[in-house]
Amino acid sequence: MIKFASLLLIVIGLYGILSTRNVIKILVGINVMEIGINIFIIAIGFVNGGAAPILSVDNPGSLLKFVDPVAQALVLTSIVIGLGVTALGLVFARKIHKKHGTYDLSEIGGES
Amino acid sequence: MMFNPVLLIAIPLGLAFIAVIFKKIQKWILALGIIVNAVLVFFVEKGETAIGGFKIPFGISLVLDDFSAAGVILINILALAAIVIAFKKAEKFAPVILAGLAGMNGMILTGDLFNLFVFMEITAISAYILSSEGRKPAQSFNYLVIGSVGSVFYLLGLILLYNQTGTLNMVLMTEKTGFLEQTVLLLPVLLIFVGIAVEAKLLPMAGWVRGVLGNSNSYTGVMFASVYSSAALFVFGRIFSQVLVPGTTVGIVIITIALVTFAAGQASAFRSKSLRQVLLYSSIAQSGLAAALFATGFVFPAVLVVVNNAIGKLIMFSAAGSLEEKYGTDDYIGLGGAFNKNTLTGIAFTIAALSLTGLPLLFGFYAKLNVLAAYLNQGTFFVPAVVLLGTIVEGAYFIKILIKLWAPGKEGEWADADQSVGDKRIFSYTGTIAVILAAVLVVLSGLLPDTAGKLIAPEGGLLGDDGPAISLLIQKGGDQ
Repeated sequence: MIKFASLLLIVIGLYGILSTRNVIKILVGINVMEIGINIFIIAIGFVNGGAAPILSVDNPGSLLKFVDPVAQALVLTSIVIGLGVTALGLVFARKIHKKHGTYDLSEIGGES
Repeated sequence: MMFNPVLLIAIPLGLAFIAVIFKKIQKWILALGIIVNAVLVFFVEKGETAIGGFKIPFGISLVLDDFSAAGVILINILALAAIVIAFKKAEKFAPVILAGLAGMNGMILTGDLFNLFVFMEITAISAYILSSEGRKPAQSFNYLVIGSVGSVFYLLGLILLYNQTGTLNMVLMTEKTGFLEQTVLLLPVLLIFVGIAVEAKLLPMAGWVRGVLGNSNSYTGVMFASVYSSAALFVFGRIFSQVLVPGTTVGIVIITIALVTFAAGQASAFRSKSLRQVLLYSSIAQSGLAAALFATGFVFPAVLVVVNNAIGKLIMFSAAGSLEEKYGTDDYIGLGGAFNKNTLTGIAFTIAALSLTGLPLLFGFYAKLNVLAAYLNQGTFFVPAVVLLGTIVEGAYFIKILIKLWAPGKEGEWADADQSVGDKRIFSYTGTIAVILAAVLVVLSGLLPDTAGKLIAPEGGLLGDDGPAISLLIQKGGDQ
């Protein structure tokens, strides 16, 4: 179920990117897409009733049934990359605003 | 003494952080990093290297075979040439360039599909920052948005594959996808294709190229058109010639997109009036050709096309960027006679243009001949026809540009030196030497194509293809 919800988030994000010309809203759209893909990755690694993939005295059963740790490692990396790209996108948004006085790409016209 | 290939990634990445701290000497750190890498790349150990002490399918591994060796040598030498040509333009971006170089080496070397995603993002972020040098923030933003959406698609495709196969290692992935049905692979392979196509400049994901490369200077133009795009194409080759060899259905889709890219690129280049626009559309066309070859499995001819395009665009984009800086225009009609006082640069530019077109005695001829021979040996006639038609168009627009840049004035009139746009020097002395060396390389490898082919593929083939489709050894004439 959660997999479908996350795919829906990716589609919503894509729609957001395509349907607006506002720089900040496009960045929000990218972030919604990234959250969608992150939840999707976690959902792929989920095992019903599985323990955290940590081997300890309290939790010896985790050897038998645990959620996929690879997916969680991937998501951590992916979140950090998303953060970097968003920060850079906001820098560009500030530069656009400084140069053109607006966040709306359709008001800038043909900057080529 | 042979070194661990991880140094090719670790040295520039470490120096990038050092360059952030020591801002005053960052240009020397940049020079040091690039030169060390360009030397080190010839002394790295071949084979598979495990990282972090994990056994190979469990941890990340670096794979240095003939294919990735050709890739990293090309990338690091080009990066060196790019800073030699325009060091002044490059020095303020020292950390960005070093991180980008680490990312590109990682992209080509890595044997892990998620690690490839990470390195592609590092490279992409450094490319976004370099694109901001064009002072068109909206274009950089556009590039960032297309790149981010592409990387989300890549990640989605990758996770679907991981769900099916349970591995991210390229070698294991190749084995396990062999057991899967083509219909299961259809969606993930196409998603991964979209992700890589953004950086490899394939239509319709190449919307960013015009805004970014059209505003490039003598440094960023070289970085985007020859360094970044070669790295992206080598990744494309690794994925689609070896790891996820597309089946018939996906193969037809990818090859069609690549050939449409080639044709559309050549046609748009023919219509453009600005020098940099002609060159950027020509880059898109060459990427399309290389991608089509990779997707068909002709790895050796594809690498020849990538190398030829990279060296050619190194010379041409640096000259075009520099001309724009010196004269304030890159309309080639307005730059008539710019080569009159820059004879050496002009000759290098001419050699690069003719080699891209595929004139005999130059490296481009060997590349194009291999492309055609590979397809004709296979019995395909449609692709060679497209390539040859594209070459005619390519020849037409390059010759149009060359005539204007050498001979100002109207057609049929005697061109005088005083009709030319001016006598400003295009390059500094080091820059001129660098482009001349690149041009000499094109000529030498064109005269000795078999030696050049041996240097690129010592074993005769790359990633399991047959290697040179045609031998160009100069032999004695007559009966033998």
